[in-house]
Amino acid sequence: MDQLIQLAIELVKIVVIAVVVLVFMMVAVLYMVLKLRWVIARIQSRLGPNRTGPWGVLQTVADALKLLQKEDIIPCGADKWLFTIAPALVFIPAYLVYVVIPFGRGMAPSQLAMTHSLGEIGKLPGLSIGVMYLSAISSIGVIGIVVAGWASNNKWSLLGAFRGASQLIAYEVPIILAMVVPVLVSGSMDLSAIVDKQAGGFWHWNLFQLQAGPALPIAFLMLIIAGLAEINVTPFDIMEAESELVAGFNTEYSGMKFALFFLAEFAAAFTLAAIITTLFLGGYNPPLAFLGGQLSGLAFSAVSLFWFLAKCWVLVIFIMWVRSTLPRVRVDQLMNLAWKALIPVGLVNLLLAGAYVTFWMAK
Amino acid sequence: MKNKTVIIKDIINSFVSIPKGLWITLVNWSIARPCVTELYPEQKRQLPQNYRGIPVLPVDPKTGKSRCIACGACARMCPEHIITVEIDKSDPKDRKPSEFSIDISRCMWCGLCTEACPVNCLVMGKDFELATYTREGMIYNLEDLMRLGGEFPAEEVVEEIAEEKKEESES
Ligand code: SF4
Ligand code: SF4
Repeated sequence: MDQLIQLAIELVKIVVIAVVVLVFMMVAVLYMVLKLRWVIARIQSRLGPNRTGPWGVLQTVADALKLLQKEDIIPCGADKWLFTIAPALVFIPAYLVYVVIPFGRGMAPSQLAMTHSLGEIGKLPGLSIGVMYLSAISSIGVIGIVVAGWASNNKWSLLGAFRGASQLIAYEVPIILAMVVPVLVSGSMDLSAIVDKQAGGFWHWNLFQLQAGPALPIAFLMLIIAGLAEINVTPFDIMEAESELVAGFNTEYSGMKFALFFLAEFAAAFTLAAIITTLFLGGYNPPLAFLGGQLSGLAFSAVSLFWFLAKCWVLVIFIMWVRSTLPRVRVDQLMNLAWKALIPVGLVNLLLAGAYVTFWMAK
Repeated sequence: MKNKTVIIKDIINSFVSIPKGLWITLVNWSIARPCVTELYPEQKRQLPQNYRGIPVLPVDPKTGKSRCIACGACARMCPEHIITVEIDKSDPKDRKPSEFSIDISRCMWCGLCTEACPVNCLVMGKDFELATYTREGMIYNLEDLMRLGGEFPAEEVVEEIAEEKKEESES
């Protein structure tokens, strides 16, 4: 009986954590969409949304409500079952990735699920295969995209899905090549351990570590470039290129299903920012020690949550900035960039980092 | 196949031009460039002097009436045949319209009617917010047109506009 109650408590805790993460994701996405529209508007000398609510802050909430009310159309030639399941196939991996993201010390959802008391926060290790889990789960999303394009029975959708498949598969490789470098240098796949290695001031961050030659900064650049392609924002958004493919793989989608695609896309942008922050920008560590580094226990966890979100937010704004600056590349240029530039550079870079770790790193 | 120097140039170029582009958008993003958006219902645009809004019949401030002599030139000139003029025959010494209506829904704001008017009493007004809930609401009769027309502009203004038009047609 006691064990049953224990199990029930565990289950409730996991559900609560899952819901909190989901709510966080939705709020973050709603605000990111709004911020994106503001940023792009300002860059184009416009004002952006400013009507709904004070300064237009309720604009995306209104948009979401509109999408909820919309009729859910399934085109008559579509494969109904696949058409319905595709948004979930895209959304679920984007959501699952959040399991390992260390939002603060001991605050990755996977760690929280194991924690039994407040005192334990920050003392548990993260998922030991964190980086592998990240790259594995985030590459599942492409299946949903291909399914969506195939099931829509629309040539634009299908073309978008094909492009998406080739793009995402091509860019998965440089992303992993770039993510492996900090893993090698830190000697761990556990995201929390990688972050803890970078504690101290910003000069301890992986980005500014030069003992392995330029390996880490190059990996950082590669991760940004390939990551932009992976989350398909504008310089690399060929799979939903509006001017060529209507809306790409989600042309036929409307209402809630479309909202799920949209949610997944922006959630992926946040995930990218979170991965870059964790691997290269010191994760939840404050940039200067006196900005919270002297704290310990729960207080540090709270401060670290703030720093993590702040760094992610800066990166998200940077992604928006790039997105509103660069024009879209052609399909062949995109493929060339991945196979002819990023992957060879990544391999050489990996060799460099490997050589450093094997021969020179202080044992 | 591109030769090697071109490829190296391309690579260097991309490292220079992307930060350059980012810098340009950053300058735009900062306060250096004000927004060009006009918040329409609150802020209205300054209309140019010869703006062509709805054709209206201004009132002569001396008599309090329109100067229209119901000659029907405007109705004949209108390419859309949307102006209806009926003569008030009660006083043979004072020709005036008994009925004057324009179906604005079909007007194309060409201004030919105002050019045809021999007494310059039909002018293009400045109103452009003309939406209504019914089709009949788009038909403006004599009173509406006089109300929208307001006071007759001073002779000098009329002449100025005529002068401008003349210059335009000559150039
Ligand atoms: S502006 Fe042109 S279309 Fe309109 S009433 Fe005058 S002549 Fe007719
Ligand atoms: S042309 Fe002028 S004067 Fe003649 S009917 Fe029209 S508005 Fe009246």
